[in-house]
Amino acid sequence: MKFFSQIVELFSTEKYMDIIWEGLQTTLIISVLAALLGLLLGTLVALVTISPQSGWMMVPKAICKAYVTIVRGTPMALQLFIMAYVVFAFRGFPEELTATLAFGINSGAYVAENIRGGILSVDIGQTEAGRALGLTRKITLSRIVIPQAIKNVIPSIGNELIALIKETSIVSMIGMFDLTMAAKIIGSGNNMASYIVPMTVVALFYLAIVYLLTFGIKLIERRLRAGDKR
Amino acid sequence: MTNGDNGNETGARSVYIKDVHKSFGSLHVLQGVSTTIHNGEKVAVIGPSGSGKSTLLRCMNLLEEPTGGEVWLDDRLLTRPDPYFYPEVLRASKTYASMMAQATAATADEQILQRIRVEKLLRRHEGRGFRTALAAVEQKNRLDINHARQRMGMVFQHFNLFNNMTVLQNLTLAPVQLKLKTKEQAEQRAMELLERIGLADKKDKYPSTLSGGQKQRIAIVRALAMNPEIMLFDEPTSALDPEMVGEVLDLIKQLANEGMTMVIVTHEMGFAREVADRVLFMDGGNIAEEGTPAELFSSPKNARTQEFLSKVL
Ligand SMILES: Nc1ncnc2c1ncn2[C@@H]1O[C@H](COP(=O)(O)OP(=O)(O)OP(=O)(O)O)[C@@H](O)[C@H]1O
Ligand SMILES: [Mg+2]
Repeated sequence: MKFFSQIVELFSTEKYMDIIWEGLQTTLIISVLAALLGLLLGTLVALVTISPQSGWMMVPKAICKAYVTIVRGTPMALQLFIMAYVVFAFRGFPEELTATLAFGINSGAYVAENIRGGILSVDIGQTEAGRALGLTRKITLSRIVIPQAIKNVIPSIGNELIALIKETSIVSMIGMFDLTMAAKIIGSGNNMASYIVPMTVVALFYLAIVYLLTFGIKLIERRLRAGDKR
Repeated sequence: MTNGDNGNETGARSVYIKDVHKSFGSLHVLQGVSTTIHNGEKVAVIGPSGSGKSTLLRCMNLLEEPTGGEVWLDDRLLTRPDPYFYPEVLRASKTYASMMAQATAATADEQILQRIRVEKLLRRHEGRGFRTALAAVEQKNRLDINHARQRMGMVFQHFNLFNNMTVLQNLTLAPVQLKLKTKEQAEQRAMELLERIGLADKKDKYPSTLSGGQKQRIAIVRALAMNPEIMLFDEPTSALDPEMVGEVLDLIKQLANEGMTMVIVTHEMGFAREVADRVLFMDGGNIAEEGTPAELFSSPKNARTQEFLSKVL
């Protein structure tokens, strides 16, 4: 029953709880800020990508395409390293910001693809009916297409957010102190000298966060669906 | 065709299609279609599948942008001007200038214009003078497409009611968003229209709960809510169960009797015969034959028309 006594030890030792709290904060801050950045960036990029081909739009469209291709075609860890050791390599740059930018930019590409897919999955007849009434492209998109696309997109955006939260655990690779790193520190020789309990506890923390998020997304989905059956 | 028949004889003209071409990549779907729809006229478009009927109808409100030729509504141009119709534009082109430089005959101008038109000699870049001349024509005649579409209702084969909105919202969205009516005015008009088709009790329902016939009748009054001058129907009954065809055709007939200008692409020959003033038979991207229903259905002249009618009648 060493396992249970160690759990009690972990939760009753203030030092260990401080370490977990510290790591949890880092994980949550990076996740939330990166998710917001990703949603913003992703929406913007999706809107540019689906805009009609015309003279000056060529440039932003090409940039967005390159962005999505590069981000999706290279490993997350490498993108994080490039941010930490190349782009923001100078001293004094807050590492939370580096990580937020790295994960936000990464997430944006996936969100953009999800939103683009969601918009394209709305029957083209909806757009044509709107435009045939004389509505502008903008109104047709915002009042008719996007409200229908959101319903299709929420589940996949939810998956993307869940993946993002778990993926932030690689920030320990640039020496940051997040929830995963907390488990490693608590388990090290100077502290509990055993990894199994801190790793299990931290795993439960991740599970709890993901479970809460999943629950929230289900709620949103249900509310959106309630709208079209009456 | 020359510039002369633009803009002048307006009064009775609703939609004027002038030598319209449409290609999808290498597929030449409309191969130079011209026709005039007059105010109050009911025109039925018939023809085999793939002959370009829908494409022609969709070119009228620019859901498809023609790759050549022009579409006019009343006396305003909906498409970009087609440079080949305007001698003064052609004369401003580099192609014209270089051909003129080599010409000797006194009648060179007319011959060169003719050659440019027939052989479609204009290239991508014809110089600033050309662009300016074309822009002047556009400036003078062109109507913003969103304004044009407010005056042209369209009804689709698959209804295309807005799925995220109630019936009432479907009818009021455009008039309110385009600031033609206040919300109250738009709702009042919408309720009048819904009462007319006996569906006032469905106003708060979503489209997914309605039958095909109900959806299509609502789609028709959604277009009517904009008070259009002309209605375009693309096979309005083809996606309906047989027992619902009648209610939709009856509504269209009512509109016809009230004097609405309309173009109807249809496979319902009986309906075309009864309602239309004129029937266009399309084949292979051209209007192969046109005439009154009596002429076209009873004594078709074109062999393709005869063949088509023998199959469908
Ligand atoms: N957006 C498009 N892209 C490529 N090809 C198209 C497109 N729209 C139509 N076509 C092609 O153009 C041709 C004419 O199509 P159109 O829909 O106008 O025919 P139609 O006469 O309406 O036929 P139907 O009776 O089957 O509706 C067809 O060969 C069709 O495949
Ligand atoms: Mg068709």
